[in-house]
Amino acid sequence: MDVTAGEKVLNSAVNQSRQFDEELLAVKNISLSFGGVKALTDISFDIRKGEIRAIIGPNGAGKSSMLNVINGFYHPQEGEVWFDGKKRGSLKPYEIAHQGIARTFQNIALFKGMSTLDNMMTGRITKMKSGLLAHVLWKGKAEREEIEHRERVEEIIDFLEIQSIRKTPVGKLPYGLQKRVELGRALAAESKLLLLDEPMAGMNLEEKEDMCRFILDVNDQFGTTIALIEHDMGVVMDIADRVVVLDYGRNIGDGTPDEIRNNQRVIDAYLGVSHD
Amino acid sequence: MSPAILNTIEVILNGLMAGVMYSLVALGFVLIFKASGIFNYAQGVFALFAALTLVGFQTGQIPFAHVINVVLGTEYHHWGEGLNNFIAIVLTMLVMVGLAWLVERLVLRHLVNQEQIILFMATIGLAFFMEGLGDLMWGANIKVLDIGIPSGGSFWWEDVTKTWAPAESDYYGMYIDVLDVWAAVVAIILVIALTLFSQFTKTGRALRAVADDHQAALTVGISLRTIWVIVWSIAGFVALVAGIMWGAKSGVQFSLSLIALKALPVLILGGFTSIPGAIIGGLIIGVGEKLFEYGIGPLIGGATENWFAYVLALFFLMFRPQGLFGDKIIERV
Repeated sequence: MDVTAGEKVLNSAVNQSRQFDEELLAVKNISLSFGGVKALTDISFDIRKGEIRAIIGPNGAGKSSMLNVINGFYHPQEGEVWFDGKKRGSLKPYEIAHQGIARTFQNIALFKGMSTLDNMMTGRITKMKSGLLAHVLWKGKAEREEIEHRERVEEIIDFLEIQSIRKTPVGKLPYGLQKRVELGRALAAESKLLLLDEPMAGMNLEEKEDMCRFILDVNDQFGTTIALIEHDMGVVMDIADRVVVLDYGRNIGDGTPDEIRNNQRVIDAYLGVSHD
Repeated sequence: MSPAILNTIEVILNGLMAGVMYSLVALGFVLIFKASGIFNYAQGVFALFAALTLVGFQTGQIPFAHVINVVLGTEYHHWGEGLNNFIAIVLTMLVMVGLAWLVERLVLRHLVNQEQIILFMATIGLAFFMEGLGDLMWGANIKVLDIGIPSGGSFWWEDVTKTWAPAESDYYGMYIDVLDVWAAVVAIILVIALTLFSQFTKTGRALRAVADDHQAALTVGISLRTIWVIVWSIAGFVALVAGIMWGAKSGVQFSLSLIALKALPVLILGGFTSIPGAIIGGLIIGVGEKLFEYGIGPLIGGATENWFAYVLALFFLMFRPQGLFGDKIIERV
């Protein structure tokens, strides 16, 4: 083991401020409303290459809406999304997936009838070169490609320690494992940006610790940039490099965990000071 | 064996064969329903349209000849001798793929996220439109579809089964239409091919993914529109096979589109989302209606084949609405 890698793990574990300069994604003045209901108002923040970025806030603060804007399920009425140095046009979610953004969902969106392996192979679709129909026409090439991808997926399965459930239909798995498979499917895409919507919701302490470890390891070993929504403050303060806080669809705080901990507006929002 | 038993076996065999024909149509419904949640009422018309187009290519008909002649005052009908079977089938398949693309482009795309009933109504509209289009393109006369599949009773089978009965009985052997046997073989190959395709190819995996969860499919980078075009193309291919078999059996006529109605009870039995269900549902209905007609029909005046399947489906709706193999319907309260 070289020293630097060890240091990095130590750093992220004790939450030293790591330095990140290069911007991967930026949202600028995003406003989103459904009918007359404003979900997001004039939100701006950035996500930098290599960091773990947390989005927190009370229920209904607009965190999931923000994620849905980033991955293209929602199209904001105002504002811009910049990804990888370019302003992004109005793209569909599957096109955004091909650009290199993968995600998981708060209430698990797996292909329940398919095995763990098939779920993760499906997660690699953005990496598969031959088109959908080419697969039918040139069998040999397709098989070679399939084997390559299979190897990659097996590595991720080893990494997440889910070897024993490779062939199990995921609908039959317990909740905690389903969450892990969903993470695996997102990892399989080897995306530039990984969005995790409450990866630890509904987990017990042990499962949470496992999930924390996986997230840190993914970030460290693969260098994947991660943006996550989480309610468990302890977890957020431990693993995030920077935190953005939303409340009532507005950005009320942005900074390192230490800065956020001492931010008066954030404290008010969480302790419920009346808004006027 | 006594002639009575042999007769019953014959009835069951013929029921199985008839069932295969129903299954062929039901398959197309299941494919589309699984991938997009649409009950495609037009599936029967697709089969008709495919058969019409195939005959058209085979016999060298000029599409829209009637319209052209009326407008230009000409007398064109055929452009030549026609194409050989293989080329005609490939061309027809291309037409079906084009049709799938058009359906996505002109209909489905504009109805995304609409209520199921609206999509269903759209397919009814599509059915009538396609029927009219088929008429306009290829004419309304009944056509003979012959792509060289042997048909007629099998003398060999008649002779073999004749020896099973005691010599003194005047049993004359079983009747089985060779065409039906071919249809069964084709259906089996089709189902195996579809299963292999969906289990072992990337596209198949994408199809299953879309059938499972639209939202998740989008996030992993699957384009729903591409998948819909592929699914409707496959359904078009299944319609072509069904059209060939039904057309060869009873001629290509517009009542062919009504086989959609016969597929309905098959789907209720087998479940709307299960490919094996479509096959087994078809077989049960085929055998059921033939046996019922044979055993009980004479007691109640016959012609039970017209309604038996629907009554059976009604019982299923009461006691097992998801069908034999369909996904269990669980509504969260």
